[in-house]
Amino acid sequence: MAITSQHHSAARGDRQVAEKRAWTWYRLTEGLTPYLLVAPLLILIAIFIYWPLVYSMYLSFFDWNFVRPDKEFVGFGNFTRLPDDPRFIRALWGTLFYTVTLVPLQVFLPLGLALMLWPIRKSRLQDSYRAMLFSPTIIAYSVAAVMWLWIFNPNHGVLNKVLVEFGFDRVRWLSDRDTAIWAIVIVATWKTLGFHMLLYLAALEGVPKDYIEAAQLDGANNWQIMRSIRFPLITPTFFFVLVTTVISVNDDVFGAINVLTDGGPFDSTTNIIYYLYQQGFQFFQIGAASAVAVIVFVATCLLTWVQFKFVERHVHYG
Amino acid sequence: MVAGAGDREVSVKDRENVMSAVTRRRFVGQAAAVAGGAALAGSAVAKAAPAPGKAARRAAAQDKTEVVIYHIFGTPPGGTPAENPHPMTQVIDAFNEQSTTATVTSLTPGNYQETLQKTQADIAAGNPPDLVTVPWANLHYAIDGLGIRDLPTVAGDSYDALVALMSDTAWPLVTRDETVWGFPWGLSTPIWYYNADLFEAAGLDPAESLATWESFAAACPALQEQTGGPVFSLTFNKDWPAQTVIQSNGGRVLNEDGTFGIASAEAKAAMQTVADLDAGGFYDRGTADELRPNFIAGSTAVFQASVASLGGLNTDAPFTLGTFTWPRFGDTPVQASTGGSFLGSFTQDESKFAAVTEFLGFCGSEAGYSLWNQVGYVNISNIELDRLPGQEPAYEQFDNGLILETNWPSARGLEAQDVWDTYCERMWANDITVEEGTEEALQEILSITGQEA
Repeated sequence: MAITSQHHSAARGDRQVAEKRAWTWYRLTEGLTPYLLVAPLLILIAIFIYWPLVYSMYLSFFDWNFVRPDKEFVGFGNFTRLPDDPRFIRALWGTLFYTVTLVPLQVFLPLGLALMLWPIRKSRLQDSYRAMLFSPTIIAYSVAAVMWLWIFNPNHGVLNKVLVEFGFDRVRWLSDRDTAIWAIVIVATWKTLGFHMLLYLAALEGVPKDYIEAAQLDGANNWQIMRSIRFPLITPTFFFVLVTTVISVNDDVFGAINVLTDGGPFDSTTNIIYYLYQQGFQFFQIGAASAVAVIVFVATCLLTWVQFKFVERHVHYG
Repeated sequence: MVAGAGDREVSVKDRENVMSAVTRRRFVGQAAAVAGGAALAGSAVAKAAPAPGKAARRAAAQDKTEVVIYHIFGTPPGGTPAENPHPMTQVIDAFNEQSTTATVTSLTPGNYQETLQKTQADIAAGNPPDLVTVPWANLHYAIDGLGIRDLPTVAGDSYDALVALMSDTAWPLVTRDETVWGFPWGLSTPIWYYNADLFEAAGLDPAESLATWESFAAACPALQEQTGGPVFSLTFNKDWPAQTVIQSNGGRVLNEDGTFGIASAEAKAAMQTVADLDAGGFYDRGTADELRPNFIAGSTAVFQASVASLGGLNTDAPFTLGTFTWPRFGDTPVQASTGGSFLGSFTQDESKFAAVTEFLGFCGSEAGYSLWNQVGYVNISNIELDRLPGQEPAYEQFDNGLILETNWPSARGLEAQDVWDTYCERMWANDITVEEGTEEALQEILSITGQEA
């Protein structure tokens, strides 16, 4: 009996150990699986996003052109020389100008268009409008530029033809410092309008009908429904568009600058991203370009933090 | 090996001296050299042998050494290939057709700057192209920044045969510190193109009107009546035409002692001449992309561009196209600058040296260079070739003595060049006075290059 009991006890012990092992293995695999699944993506992000970021920070302390075998350590030299460079200052002003003009245009104008298209959502007309407004987003800048170069051509462009028809003088859109930057703003807005509009339309689609019907039963008019129900419920999308636009607006406008004006006339359409490009890929000053990249990174982080700190509190996540 | 700034300054001085002596008069035919080149390239074999079929060519190509060349004359990414291949493509095709040991693959990343960018990126990635069209003005950067291979190393025993192919006057353009760094290829110079129909309609004789800046200024109002707007444009990077304008008035962008001459009295007076024409509404301030279409459409009467644009303009202009030298300042002969590029080798694979040399030999041979000559560049080979109609002004300027395109010193020379380019644009468009523009540009350039005034 005692032997049997001991035998049973030992068997139970073995079973418990086996169960414990199985449980541990299960816990381990359960715990590791998600990490293993995201590992390929994390590795890719580390290689193509974080490593270049860290390497840029490292390069910002050197004078190098990517090819010479020797890198000259210059400390903070690449950073301290920037305030003395008039072109860097002009690029900063351009950056500020594009941010101040393009962020409202790229955030509010698509919202207005989405609100105008929303009431006709069941009509086939909306599909046509949507296609027309979204198509610039998928056209490459290099292709669009050819079209815009001709539209803006001072002698034969359609824009000046219209102006002349109405008795105005011809405008040198791309070669006059007063108009060139506005030409860039027009093209950059045209390019991103459709994508943001689609995001807003999708958000409007997601607003529960119950809320609208309840408000209508309570006698709310369209404006009240818009102000108090629709807009608050699409604020997560609005906030997303705002944050991503602030982050990317100067990056996005680079394409228009590069293909239409090359930063001219007289550096009047340049911005910090174009300045970075020039330093890195026209003048082959990789250290200086990296220093500018670090500044852009820090400034972008700060701006994003400010938005999350002060704007996100007004966002209704439902 | 990176040379110090001092080395570059000495080199610039030497090259300025050398280039003052680059004249057509020194071109001497070297029949023996031509024969040597033909032998080097194997063109005689090509003439004798029947053209191989496609299958045979494909099979043979597998055993051939591939030479990758980046040049500016093909179709950039996304572009539509021209109906008639550019002469550069014709040269490559002709070489590939006749060579039994090498095959050349070409790529056109874009303009000179984009080609240099692509080259730099590929060098950094450890996959350098074997040959690249490098602007003469970037010789210093190619040596100090990109590690271009010197020609004697690449060509080995065939070096002398290569040298014999091209004119004695061409080699100093690719020589620094007594070493030859590339194969002279496209030598251009800026000239003036004019719309003869508009001159006729204005009742003007181009030869008289374009002779001097004074006569040109006098002709501008009559031409403006025809164009209804600006009369002339100066193209490409503004620092390039500015160099010819300044030199023709006795100044220099870069003096022979390596100092900058952009704020000299001669330079200021020359720059003011163009600014005055702009003040009269005669200068086309358009962007680089707008100026050529404006001329083609008859919106301007005079267009300055490289002589290498001759072929394209002849094809595109719907009017009677004329060419002329730059206007003179008084009786002083025009002192135009050079332009164009040489073929530089960046190959790190020594097994490709023979194939690169064979291709360069073909380029300088009669078979290759006669194809290349269609572009309109000044003939710098030792082969006697017919001049193209319209090339005369280029040769006249060449005879006067071309001055090497400014080779901006220091590791930040490309940035300094861009600063000067922007100031030229501003001064000519009266966005800043010439007095202020030249002085401010000088200070910025000195700050960038680390030189003293």
